[in-house]
Amino acid sequence: MTGTGNNRVDNVGENPGEMSGAYALHALNPGEAAGYEAHLAESEQARIEAAELSDTAVALGLATAPVQPSAALKASLMARLATTPQLPPLRAPTVAPAVVRAVPVPPDVVEPAAERPAEASAGPVTPVAASSGGTASERARRRWFRGPVSMLVAAAAAVALFVGGAFAGQAFNSDQFPQQQAAGLAQINSAPDSKRASTTTSDGHKATLVWSTERKLSALLVDDLPELPSDKDYQLWYIGGTGAVSAGTFDSSGTGTVWRVLDGSITVGDLIGVTVEPKGGSKQPTTDPIVAIQSS
Amino acid sequence: MLGLMTADFDFDLESTAPASKEVLLGRVAQGNETAFGDLYDQMAPRVLGLVKRLLIDHAQSEEVTQEIFLEIWQSASRYEAQRGGASTWILTMAHRRAVDRIRSSQAGRDRDTKIGIRDLAVEYDNVSETVETRIEHERVEKAMSRLTELQRQAISLAYYGGLSHSEVAERLHIPLGTVKTRLRDGMIRLRDELGVAA
Repeated sequence: MTGTGNNRVDNVGENPGEMSGAYALHALNPGEAAGYEAHLAESEQARIEAAELSDTAVALGLATAPVQPSAALKASLMARLATTPQLPPLRAPTVAPAVVRAVPVPPDVVEPAAERPAEASAGPVTPVAASSGGTASERARRRWFRGPVSMLVAAAAAVALFVGGAFAGQAFNSDQFPQQQAAGLAQINSAPDSKRASTTTSDGHKATLVWSTERKLSALLVDDLPELPSDKDYQLWYIGGTGAVSAGTFDSSGTGTVWRVLDGSITVGDLIGVTVEPKGGSKQPTTDPIVAIQSS
Repeated sequence: MLGLMTADFDFDLESTAPASKEVLLGRVAQGNETAFGDLYDQMAPRVLGLVKRLLIDHAQSEEVTQEIFLEIWQSASRYEAQRGGASTWILTMAHRRAVDRIRSSQAGRDRDTKIGIRDLAVEYDNVSETVETRIEHERVEKAMSRLTELQRQAISLAYYGGLSHSEVAERLHIPLGTVKTRLRDGMIRLRDELGVAA
């Protein structure tokens, strides 16, 4: 036998289909496996056989006796989650049962003067798709924040990484802001009591409020919210019996999903509203809200 | 004073019914640690059982199990429900990880001698068994009994022993081409016996 190839695609001979059994059993060396996968890319029939034999191998796995792990294993694992990065989805989901899956890769993100992101194409999962999907979601984040590239990297990392990590809700400067926003959204979505409510804006755009009462955090997400003139901002408000309290300002590029974690703390029953205000925001709302959603 | 607008409320994020592994995996993809804990509780004995079957050493098997669950955490967003169940995705990953460990370390050579003296039939300890796993075990054992001796040995050495096809060839003193054929024919036979369809 020749070789233990690394990072190479071995010639799998004239009948690559014969490798299907060994492939399903993880009995090929990496080069041979890559060669067989190249064959899979070309043959629907081979893909079906590979999937069936892989499922068959799982049946062999399910036939082994379960072994109870030590309690220490779970504890150690749970402790590592907060610092273990999660990969972004490869493509926009066909159904969006919850917020985060819908957010990272909006299907209609368009990057001007650049290639159209590849995330919407629903091809087989390949390493190529993986890298372009990541790029697309990074582009998407850049659109939401409309910040420089260094900020987008921080934001992308924060969305993925800092679930359960430290989130400082105040004292942000321009460098930390996107990261804190991303960390806040991750905190809300990972909260055991995470909830959401949806409605439409006065212009018919879908708006969703997500919140965690336990963590006192909330975020508003709006699809395709129109871009405002440069002298205006959108402003968020907590609206209670005693009036409105500002929860921060944001802007929108007009396409994709814009989102903003609210400043301050949400309390059960708070009504969250958005108005259009002069740039930098107002002390009290000066226009009628374009949307209002109640938490409960 | 601000006018109010009607909101449609939508509280389907959390259900009171026990969540399926597929649903849990979806939540894990969103960074939900509670869902990850639940998924771990359901799957960890399965994963460790399989890994330990290959690696034999308990401490090392727990270590690899931890790596597997961290990979689940990291790549949950890549799971596609339409391509199969969550158990299938997880156990496929678990087997690959266990095999990687065997091939990348001295551990593989250390355990080689132990493999040699073990019975290679589907092995089963009756510890912590459930009705479900007992039935699954018997189903697979029955399917395995329909294979030729050579098919059965080749598949057992590859899957439970974690041997590469060339190692299987050495072990059984048969040409590599024959091993490939036996592995494929045997797996197809098993697939048909077990009624697996894509």
